[in-house]
Amino acid sequence: MGRYIIKRLVYMVAVFFLLTFLLFVLYQMMPANRAYTDAHTEVQALKKGLSAAEMETKFEELYLKYQRMYGTDTDNKLVLYLRWLGLYPFYNGKLNGIFQGNFGFSYEHNAPVVEVVGPPMRNSMLIGLVSEIFVLGITIPLGIACAVRKNSRFDRGTQIFTLIGFSTPSFIIYIVFIVFFCSILHLFPVSGMKTPGTSYTGFKAILDVLHHIALPIICLTFSSLASITRIARASMIDALSLDCIRTARAKGLSEKVVIYSHAWRNALVPMVAIIVGGFFGIIGGAMIMETMFGFKGMGLLFLSATRTADYDLIMFLEVIYTFIGLFSNLVIDLCYGLVDPRVRISK
Amino acid sequence: MSKEKKENIFRKCGRWLVRGLLGPQFEEKWFHIKKDEPKEIQYKNGVPDDSELIVSPGRQIFNRFLERKFAVLSVFVVLFMFLIVTIVPHFMTKYYDAYTEVTQKDLPPTMSFMSVPKDLQGNIKQISSYGSFSVGLSNDGEVYVWGATKIGATGLNVRDIPEEVKNNKMAFVAAGIDHIIAIGEDGKMYGWGSNRFGQYAVTETTLANPNLQPVPEAVLNGLDVSHIKKVVCGFQASAILMDDGVLYIWGNKQAYSNLVNFVDKDNIVDIDFTLNYVVGIDEKQNSVYTGTRGLYDTVRTSIGGKGEKLFQFLAGRKINEITATSTSICILLDDGSIAMVGDFPTDVIDVPTLPEGEGFTLIEGGTYHYTGVTNKGNVYSFGGDHYRQAEVPEGLTGVSKIYAGAFQSYAVDENGSLLNKWGLKGYLFGTDDRGADIAQRVIAGGRVTMTVGAVAVIIEIIIGVSIGLIAGYFGGWVDIFLMRVAEVFGSIPLYPFMLILSSLLAQVSLSTDARLYMIMVILGILGWPGFARITRAQILVARESEYVTAAQAMGVREVRIAFKHILPNIISVILVNMTLSFAASMQTETSLSFLGFGVTYPQPSWGNMLSRASNATAAINFWWQWLFTSAILVFTTVCINTIGDTLRDVMDPKSTNDK
Repeated sequence: MGRYIIKRLVYMVAVFFLLTFLLFVLYQMMPANRAYTDAHTEVQALKKGLSAAEMETKFEELYLKYQRMYGTDTDNKLVLYLRWLGLYPFYNGKLNGIFQGNFGFSYEHNAPVVEVVGPPMRNSMLIGLVSEIFVLGITIPLGIACAVRKNSRFDRGTQIFTLIGFSTPSFIIYIVFIVFFCSILHLFPVSGMKTPGTSYTGFKAILDVLHHIALPIICLTFSSLASITRIARASMIDALSLDCIRTARAKGLSEKVVIYSHAWRNALVPMVAIIVGGFFGIIGGAMIMETMFGFKGMGLLFLSATRTADYDLIMFLEVIYTFIGLFSNLVIDLCYGLVDPRVRISK
Repeated sequence: MSKEKKENIFRKCGRWLVRGLLGPQFEEKWFHIKKDEPKEIQYKNGVPDDSELIVSPGRQIFNRFLERKFAVLSVFVVLFMFLIVTIVPHFMTKYYDAYTEVTQKDLPPTMSFMSVPKDLQGNIKQISSYGSFSVGLSNDGEVYVWGATKIGATGLNVRDIPEEVKNNKMAFVAAGIDHIIAIGEDGKMYGWGSNRFGQYAVTETTLANPNLQPVPEAVLNGLDVSHIKKVVCGFQASAILMDDGVLYIWGNKQAYSNLVNFVDKDNIVDIDFTLNYVVGIDEKQNSVYTGTRGLYDTVRTSIGGKGEKLFQFLAGRKINEITATSTSICILLDDGSIAMVGDFPTDVIDVPTLPEGEGFTLIEGGTYHYTGVTNKGNVYSFGGDHYRQAEVPEGLTGVSKIYAGAFQSYAVDENGSLLNKWGLKGYLFGTDDRGADIAQRVIAGGRVTMTVGAVAVIIEIIIGVSIGLIAGYFGGWVDIFLMRVAEVFGSIPLYPFMLILSSLLAQVSLSTDARLYMIMVILGILGWPGFARITRAQILVARESEYVTAAQAMGVREVRIAFKHILPNIISVILVNMTLSFAASMQTETSLSFLGFGVTYPQPSWGNMLSRASNATAAINFWWQWLFTSAILVFTTVCINTIGDTLRDVMDPKSTNDK
């Protein structure tokens, strides 16, 4: 088990470097030159009393200085990448990268990226966690009920709804919900985290926030109901057709024990990836939902960062996204061992 | 196994379509089905010949698929959609992606643009329209309004004619973009609709706005109706011309920058509004007056013709009338000849060359087209023809008067009864915030969305299946390596990656088509690992199965085993995943385009057509702008997913077929 984890971790680190390198190179193509901009603004600032030639030399000087400062005084992408990671020294011989704890500086927010990411991540995780719990709490019992009563009227009805829900892009669900709950029923505010112009405290503040995040949570929950119900139903049907279920029934076990103890344990195996992946996905935020509700989460942060070309922030978020993806894969594989007694993680 | 006689596939499909759509009785009637006809068992050498009863697995799957009513229907629906979005754009010759029309913005679905009320059809005195609605006046002085009468999101409806107007006899009516003016027989001016820019009334808010020209005192006090020559409305402005040349003009000075030049003018022969300028005929100068030097002084006798200076062209002739469209004006001279000033859109029908001795007696202008009637009673339309508004129906005789406005023309005889009408009936799905027809954009957007989905899936299959085949077939380190590569691609986060890529693409100036290909390729490249994994897993299973072992034992060559034995088994699974991936790719594309990172304006896609609905107010006020598009999108994906689900069901040997 220990060896397996170490092997997986080594592999994970390798893929992590590969992916981040890919994204880094991709992003280097962006025609943004911070050293040039900074040097240009500084030269413009001390325009007075300088001839054109002097300005030219001054600019060259400043440009070189900034390039060295930002580590962009080379075109070698690998060197740039290693500098960003903190594995290759800058011009002054110092290492200053991710491994030294320098994740970058957001120019748009005028703060280190780690500080910028904090509050949106908290928002995203809060709303995601609540909706994920709702989703699993609804879909798994529903999926089991459908599988047990396969081809009944209840199952067929649910199947139609899940098919429609599964085929509907989430943003259409959000549009319908916003129109219905905000514009027709006037139950919830359309966007924001608190009523503007108010300074509630204590219980009232909590209620106000709840009132604002209720609709995003409902939407987020509703948009993932269909697909997970389908998966739960399918895996439960597969599990119910196993030989061990027939044996269990033949032994005279009660139907409850057969379904919840024998079949469910087997049905859980394909569900692990969905459940674990879902919980990890919370950190990344729900981009479309956050855009539509103007909810200050990770997705909206990423979107605004790409719109404003906030270079360091984008790269940091990419690192987070990649890390989440790889790490959740590892956890999923480990969970298989926990859930499925037949899977022996040894080699 | 079915005991029925073998049936032609097409016949069977048609039969099921009929059964699905109309019911079993039509199926029996049209296809002459005799039920339960037991077939005699043929004997061959004393042994029952069951060769017809044995069905290959593929055939069996096919037969079982045909038994699913909804799935067969879905196949037809998807094929129908495909045909529509590929064929219909070839017939939409006048459609282009970047079409915008400011006077037709945000119109709800309606087909009533030309539905002249019954009571009015017999005794028309006047018809006027500028934007989305028309106002008509009967010989009895009654006012009628039809068309898309709701004014944007303001909640105003010009169909709500004020009581005073209903109770009094009217002498003149005129429609603007969002207001209507009526002059009563008593000379009083009535207005309704939007008054945000002081279109018909003076209030404190309109007085406070320096950009507005207030309604003149004389108009508010009442005019002598017998001396009114013309009442006309423009974008957010109105004008009343008296027969002694005195002009009263008021409205939004920001919409008409030269409006101020016309205030207190008293030598105007005729007046009209284009989209941006007020144009009139100066009595003394005998020329087009705009108050701006150099504007509208080059005339052309045909749309593609050479321009010449107005005074040279006139050569002593007098300008009788002027009529304006959004971008051009047409002048009618006293000898019946006409000339155009200004620009024209791309789809035009040129000015007809009249036979000797024939001359126009009346010219009316719509938004882009002109309709005129000659002294011989012939009717001609020319100018912009985007909605076929310049195509006169044949067999029009006895026309004495013509009314043209917006995209419609009405021909009326001397008694005031409507002879014919032609032009734009309305918009089936309404218009978007740029004034383009949503129904047309849905079809053009469907082409984009479905093509992106299909091509992305094909790329996924090509890469995924070949890599999966190689990995599963060779095994060993090749397998490990390729699967690791697949994993790397599989763990690229889609949305962040797409966002970065499209912001990169935004920097590079790409043609819209190139951008579209990029999106297809990116979706394909990020989606293939799923196919690779499925293919590989199938091959690994198949290699161990008994039939392959049997084939190997019989000495069948490896290649033959791979292609003849294993591939058919994989194809079915790939088919299922292809269908589901197709729907998923369409969803991804629409979501990306919705966020503004996929297909971008002006190219329509079912995703970016919905992006305005992310605003809650717009979503409720302009519900037609998202409802139809998303309904069609959801319907299509539901059908595709139904096909995929059913395919998977019928291919699963374990699944029971009980109802």
